[in-house]
Amino acid sequence: MLELQKALAEINEIRGAIARVNDFRGYGPLSVAVSGLLALGVALAQANWPTFLAPDPTTYFFVWIGVAAVAAMMTSLETFNRTRRVHADLAVPMLQRALEQFAPALFAGVLLAGALAYFAPQALWLLPGLWQILFSLGVFASCPFLPRQMSIVGLWYLGAGLVSIAACSGGAVCSPWAMGVPFGVGQLLVAAILRYGFRQKA
Amino acid sequence: MTTGSGRDSGAARFAYAGLDRVIHEKARLSLLTSLMTHPKGLRFGDLKQLCGLTDGNLNRHLLVLETAKLVRISKEIDHRRMQTSCQITALGRRRYLEYLAVLERVILDAAAATKLQGLTDG
Repeated sequence: MLELQKALAEINEIRGAIARVNDFRGYGPLSVAVSGLLALGVALAQANWPTFLAPDPTTYFFVWIGVAAVAAMMTSLETFNRTRRVHADLAVPMLQRALEQFAPALFAGVLLAGALAYFAPQALWLLPGLWQILFSLGVFASCPFLPRQMSIVGLWYLGAGLVSIAACSGGAVCSPWAMGVPFGVGQLLVAAILRYGFRQKA
Repeated sequence: MTTGSGRDSGAARFAYAGLDRVIHEKARLSLLTSLMTHPKGLRFGDLKQLCGLTDGNLNRHLLVLETAKLVRISKEIDHRRMQTSCQITALGRRRYLEYLAVLERVILDAAAATKLQGLTDG
């Protein structure tokens, strides 16, 4: 019985080894593009109705946390379904590897928001820039198994994060565009690379 | 996915049709596993070393895999020397994963049978 269990473990190990060296094609361009458009749309709405959607930093960030939650749900659902379809038997180790690469950045972003809101609310203006920098680290970590142009997205988020910090410094409430433009353009760029980048790599 | 084991189909429950004869050979299984874990391909020499095969054996097994369209063999000049390299095809990749799934089913069936035997004996 032990030998049979060992054999099963070895098969799983082989699947894991294959998953570690193959491109991850589970991210879907559709949900990523929609999340980019959503970010641009929400920034436009916040800019037009600031008294309702961004009267203070707390409301501003709650709106964006809502956007992030909706985007995360959409992309997770598409990624899950697409990975099962594209990677079939390798779906589980592939998803596991994708999570290992990207989840730490997302997790750090959530914890950072909580820590700033609780311990240093006066520094909340830093959050858009810091989120973008953390997002860039997640993108860079995922780069080896995505189309090579994805590093441009990493650079975009890193640059946007630094510019956001410079642009928002000292302001009580950040401009809606400090979130809308980086994430809107960034996600549309990701979607385009996912759609066309793998063709070039093949 | 259809495993080919016919798990729920009564008479052919243990047919394991997915245990492809082309893949189900030690050297070829070893070659395909090496190529699956090196998706960009491997040179003839590296493949020979990784699988512990002689030139003749490697050629023979690669020919079988190439005929079945599971691998692609290409020759290119590198540092003025002709290099033969080998890459797994999309079909090879799919068939290998199907093979692994059937192999897993065989082991699970064996484990279930061993457990059952243990219960009846004990």
